[in-house]
Amino acid sequence: MAGYVCRRLLWTVPVLFGVSFVVFLAMHSLPGDAAQQILGLAATEENASALRSSMGLDRPFIVQYAGWLGHTLRGDLGVSAIMRSPVIVILGGKLVNSLVLAAASLSIVAVSGFFLGTASAAHAGKVIDRTIVTTALALASAPVFWVGLVLLFAFGIVWPIFPTAGMTSLTGSNGTPDVLWHVVLPALTAAAMPAAIVTRVTRSAMIDTIGRPFIAAARGRGVSPRRILYVHAARNVLPVFANVCGLQIGHLFGGVVFTEIVFSWPGIGMQLFDSIEQRDIPMVQGCVLAIAVVFVLSNALSDVLVRALDVRSR
Amino acid sequence: MRWAKGAYLRSVSRAFRANPAAVAGLVVFGALVVCAVCAPLLAPYDPAASDLSLRLRGIGTPGHPLGLDGNGRDMLSRLIYGARVSLLTGLVPVAAGGIAAVPIGLLAGYYERAGTVVMRVMDVLFAFPIVLLGILLAAILGPGLPNLLAALTVVVIPYTARVVFVETVLSKHLGFVEAARALGASDRRIIAGQLLPQVLSAAVVYSMTIVGAISIAAAGLSFLGLGIQPPTADWGLMTSDGRNVLNLAPHVSTLPGVAICVMVISLNMMGDGVRAALDPLLRANAALEGRR
Repeated sequence: MAGYVCRRLLWTVPVLFGVSFVVFLAMHSLPGDAAQQILGLAATEENASALRSSMGLDRPFIVQYAGWLGHTLRGDLGVSAIMRSPVIVILGGKLVNSLVLAAASLSIVAVSGFFLGTASAAHAGKVIDRTIVTTALALASAPVFWVGLVLLFAFGIVWPIFPTAGMTSLTGSNGTPDVLWHVVLPALTAAAMPAAIVTRVTRSAMIDTIGRPFIAAARGRGVSPRRILYVHAARNVLPVFANVCGLQIGHLFGGVVFTEIVFSWPGIGMQLFDSIEQRDIPMVQGCVLAIAVVFVLSNALSDVLVRALDVRSR
Repeated sequence: MRWAKGAYLRSVSRAFRANPAAVAGLVVFGALVVCAVCAPLLAPYDPAASDLSLRLRGIGTPGHPLGLDGNGRDMLSRLIYGARVSLLTGLVPVAAGGIAAVPIGLLAGYYERAGTVVMRVMDVLFAFPIVLLGILLAAILGPGLPNLLAALTVVVIPYTARVVFVETVLSKHLGFVEAARALGASDRRIIAGQLLPQVLSAAVVYSMTIVGAISIAAAGLSFLGLGIQPPTADWGLMTSDGRNVLNLAPHVSTLPGVAICVMVISLNMMGDGVRAALDPLLRANAALEGRR
């Protein structure tokens, strides 16, 4: 187990180097000339080439990458071309906001996926099961941005019980309850698709487990149906459940990007969208790098957790 | 051999037809294909023609059953034309990416030592959520349909390649491959003649299940302004157009989303049906169920 944890965590190091290379290559390939971008209308050919050489843009690709990597490892991601402040400082705040949204979504995914999947399996074939399965199929097929707009329309406009934009009220922040009130619709939006998938997988794993002899044995001993479901069967479903939750992290992060844009949530996704529109290359780079790094680390973490939960791997 | 293959296909097709959800998915998907192919015949108006006097009128407007958008264009016509883009952006990248991925996965799986290196490099691409990779590639290539298709093709390759790689590694020590090797078949012959047919069905089934997801990703990129450009009728773009008038005319952004859902649900039901029909165990169960 310890060996596996070490190997899995160590493997993130080369992957992260690969990620940094891909991001740098991508930014390098973006259309447009950085020097001309910065100089704007003042760009003459001499000005631009002087700036290019002072920024090191005339050096070979690999030298530029090495230099950039050195800065990045020290936390220097450059200066935002639009906001004129260090990228790392802006990113820090945005990352926290995104993680608040992602954490809220992930808890919705885990709780609703587990209980809906279990309820569905316990009543397999009945009306409640069919309702859950059909709803899950629909939600697993719906684009995140559309789910967001529908929720926005239903609970922000028709029946305005939740705020439709931002993370806090404009009339002075009221702390955590205010943020929690704002996070409801975005969190539901980002959670919809992953929760649907987790529900489906939990349901089929549960049905599988309930049919096994040890459940029949427990039933024969007179264990209460609820205890059988939530203790005996759940313990066997847990590794599958944890694994599918981990696999949903990618969908969740992708969903968070769209959700932030629909609900103007001031996180990394929203920032990435704005920065692409404004052609703010250092900022785009920082956002992509941050999302990818968080994604790699959370994948490693979830792999380790899944392994720890699976009794058979001990 | 020919007989056996025919019987196999018949039994698969029977299992598929016995599954009402799969058949419903096939029917709906077929209807969407008809919409896309015959769009000029079916659409009551030109998708770009605008009548500003009727802009943002809702569902049930005389002559415009699904209303009009912010530029006074007929929603129904635009939805019908939108099926073209959505089908293209779902099918083309998956097919093109699949064609590129099969040789990669096959060679990487057969020559495992060198192949492992290739798959480790692919691991780096898995380190980006699909949407993020799409955003990155679309931003580099620029907007427009051909670039969108190219970006999504690149996104598909590592996923399908991984499926083919795993399938190849699992199959290459099976009896029929060993037998071919014992008979003196060359590597090339084993790969093309024995392993390719074996992994192809896995690749095709996997590809069918991701068409919906890729089409959603394409709509998402268009929603962000990185994919299809106006005035082309595209469901993702239409959803984004309606964002600012959500309180005045909710039909403008909700209807295209419904269209996307319908298409993806039909694809998923069809894909699940094919997967179940190809699974011998499930097929046997379905046959038993039918007899009961």
